[in-house]
Amino acid sequence: MRALKLLSAAALGIAISAPTFAAGYPEKPVTVVVPFPAGGASDTTARVTTQKMQESLGQPIVVENKPGANGSLGAGQVAKAKADGYTLIVGSIGVYAINPVLYKSLPYDPTKDFDLLTVAVRTPNVLVANPNFPANNVKEFVEHLKKNPEKVTFASSGAGSSDHLTAALFWQKTGTTGVHVPYKGGAPAITDLIGGHADVSFQNLGAVSNHIKAGKLKLLAVTAEKRNPAFPDAPTMKEAGVEGVEVYSWQAVAAPKGLPADVKSKLEQSLAGALNSPDVKGKFNDIGFEVVANTSGQFSEFLNQEISRWKTVVETGKITADQ
Amino acid sequence: METLSNLWLGLETALTFWNLAYCMVGVLLGTAIGVLPGLGPTATIAMLLPVTFGLPPVSALIMLAGIYYGAQYGGSTTAILVNLPGESSSVVTALDGYQMARQGKAGKALATAAIGSFFAGTVATVLLAVFAPPLADLALQFGPAEYFSLMVLGLVASVVLAHGSLLHAFGMIILGLMLGLIGTDVNSGTTRYTFGFPEIADGINFVVVAMGVFGLGEIIGNLANETTRTVMAKTVKGLMPTREDLKQMAAPVLRGTVLGSMLGILPGGGAMLASFAAYTLEKKVSRHPERFGKGAIEGVAGPESANNAGAQTSFIPMLTLGIPSNPVMALMIGAMIMQGIQPGPSVMTEQPVLFWGLIVSMWIGNLFLLVLNLPLIGLWVRMISVPYHFLYPAILVFCAIGVFSLNNATFDVYLMAMFGFLGYIFRKLDCEPAPMLLGFILGPMMEEHLRRAMLISKGDATVFMSRPISATMLVLALILLASVLAPTVRRKREEAFQEEA
Repeated sequence: MRALKLLSAAALGIAISAPTFAAGYPEKPVTVVVPFPAGGASDTTARVTTQKMQESLGQPIVVENKPGANGSLGAGQVAKAKADGYTLIVGSIGVYAINPVLYKSLPYDPTKDFDLLTVAVRTPNVLVANPNFPANNVKEFVEHLKKNPEKVTFASSGAGSSDHLTAALFWQKTGTTGVHVPYKGGAPAITDLIGGHADVSFQNLGAVSNHIKAGKLKLLAVTAEKRNPAFPDAPTMKEAGVEGVEVYSWQAVAAPKGLPADVKSKLEQSLAGALNSPDVKGKFNDIGFEVVANTSGQFSEFLNQEISRWKTVVETGKITADQ
Repeated sequence: METLSNLWLGLETALTFWNLAYCMVGVLLGTAIGVLPGLGPTATIAMLLPVTFGLPPVSALIMLAGIYYGAQYGGSTTAILVNLPGESSSVVTALDGYQMARQGKAGKALATAAIGSFFAGTVATVLLAVFAPPLADLALQFGPAEYFSLMVLGLVASVVLAHGSLLHAFGMIILGLMLGLIGTDVNSGTTRYTFGFPEIADGINFVVVAMGVFGLGEIIGNLANETTRTVMAKTVKGLMPTREDLKQMAAPVLRGTVLGSMLGILPGGGAMLASFAAYTLEKKVSRHPERFGKGAIEGVAGPESANNAGAQTSFIPMLTLGIPSNPVMALMIGAMIMQGIQPGPSVMTEQPVLFWGLIVSMWIGNLFLLVLNLPLIGLWVRMISVPYHFLYPAILVFCAIGVFSLNNATFDVYLMAMFGFLGYIFRKLDCEPAPMLLGFILGPMMEEHLRRAMLISKGDATVFMSRPISATMLVLALILLASVLAPTVRRKREEAFQEEA
């Protein structure tokens, strides 16, 4: 009996002192929360990356989908989780940079509640139109918009989505207007674009590249810094004469604020190793994602830039989405 | 000729030992989760997604597809035996199927569902093989205006689902529409009626409502009067359909197949309407519509064929255009992306082995299901005689697990319990939940499409009449509404005249 007490006391002592020397991390499976349904971009990013990370961490990584409220439901839960490295989040530009400027009450603050780890991947948006749409390049498109104010329909994957805000940014930079038509996700928006029910849209390159190749959609420009190797003929927005519309959709990894330093560095190493490995890179390239794998400092700086940029867009465009 | 050589390629692929095995595993798993209340193909496929990474793409998709249509088969079993529709499509199966079961004809109802589904699956697979690309282009003709009119037609048709009071049916539809409004408004991004619960910011899940109102409501209701079920178990007769039955179900199966195949092609939620539409059609063409809701075999044969046909043809927009028509298809697209295949029009030309192998495997899978399910019927029927105190706790547990697996959220389980209580009240008030569920599904879709159509037309409401497909459907809805209301109005007038005389 006494031995048992001693033993449990010892065990308790170990348990209490464990966080101070987390050399054994990870000692149990790690949960990665994806605040969107399985099969989406965040989910793909999480699954491809964590599959590789398991090798270096030596523990299974479980991807858990907690969809709801534009990702803020799952992100809010992660923000409140224990900062022990066993709960991580893989979220999108929406979760980190757009929700905070769009919603007044959010269950998390990405700049305060998270230890930002890395931006994993990014993909440029592209301006695509139905093949029968009259404009064939950005110059004609801007002229067409100016001649037909509030006429051209811009399909988006939802009110407050990155493609909605890209359209708003484009209107602001070119002094044009259009009709925003939100859908429930990118797929139905692309469907109506192909069917000719909507005119144009800013979509993630990966989601429409096959439709462009098949001639079902017309590519006017990419919102990237340089041309895309898959579509070398498509100009960047800058080349087409529109400044300041470089937009990427990105996916990033974070943990609840306050990770022990050694856990954080172990996670950073494992993430960088996985993202830079040739097979993971190849998998992402195949689906139009570009591996970023920056440091936590770079991520934090980048996030501040993104937040202030979208804040301006939202305020200028008087975009609201709140209860 | 090209089709034949393509089919041969598909046959070669689908008939390899491993692909056959994965197909078998898929349909077995699908049947199992379909039978278990609350566990749906979406949650299962999401859980199995990581497992498929290690498989070749064809095998992975064959297995995932098997889970999907296997679940359609299995879902009807629970709907018929215990009045628990796990999928929107089996809500109508429960209407007459459960009544058949109560009359001791559970075996017959299950066999009807299996045979009807197999026939529909075969026809839809052929359709998929021969006409996939042109059909997909046709589906693209459906814009917001067309979808809105289709939903109106569906909503009018849902009145026909009720076999009791028309007033109750209208009330339940409106209640369903209102429940459907809960969640985030697509156009403004504003959340409505969520009372500050972020858990319902995306709306209430269909499965939560169906499990609560049907499943839990039924259990609570049955606990009040135990006698009915003992009768049910004792009077089990005739497991297989007789020649007479087969004759009776031939036409409904055929009509259901045609309707289901057509609606399944529409990516904007057509497949969801398939079984509802088939039920309405059967009741309308029947010479004895009063038998519906009381165990009419046509009421099982038509919708079951339609839902399986729709499940198969909903692969058309996914495979030929890369457009998902429901959450399961979205997951399949996710699986393809993980395998490094970019879904879209090029899949057919660049991945012929995958495309044709999957199509042929669907037919083989349907055959597996028939062979698997017919002998199992005897076993399923015996399940009814399991005593209450074993069966009901088990159902409750499975419902809770299934509902939890939707979003990994306990909130949904509590919500289901609340709907269970509501379901019990509805039973006491003689209000049928089926029209409510249809209103719940159609309401938000109708609103979404209406507002989108108006946005695109810049506020011009004539789009609904100036576009031919949309106008046709609105006219059909009007005719249907008149035919539903006319007898009631006439009866009222006759009563009035009698009073005067």
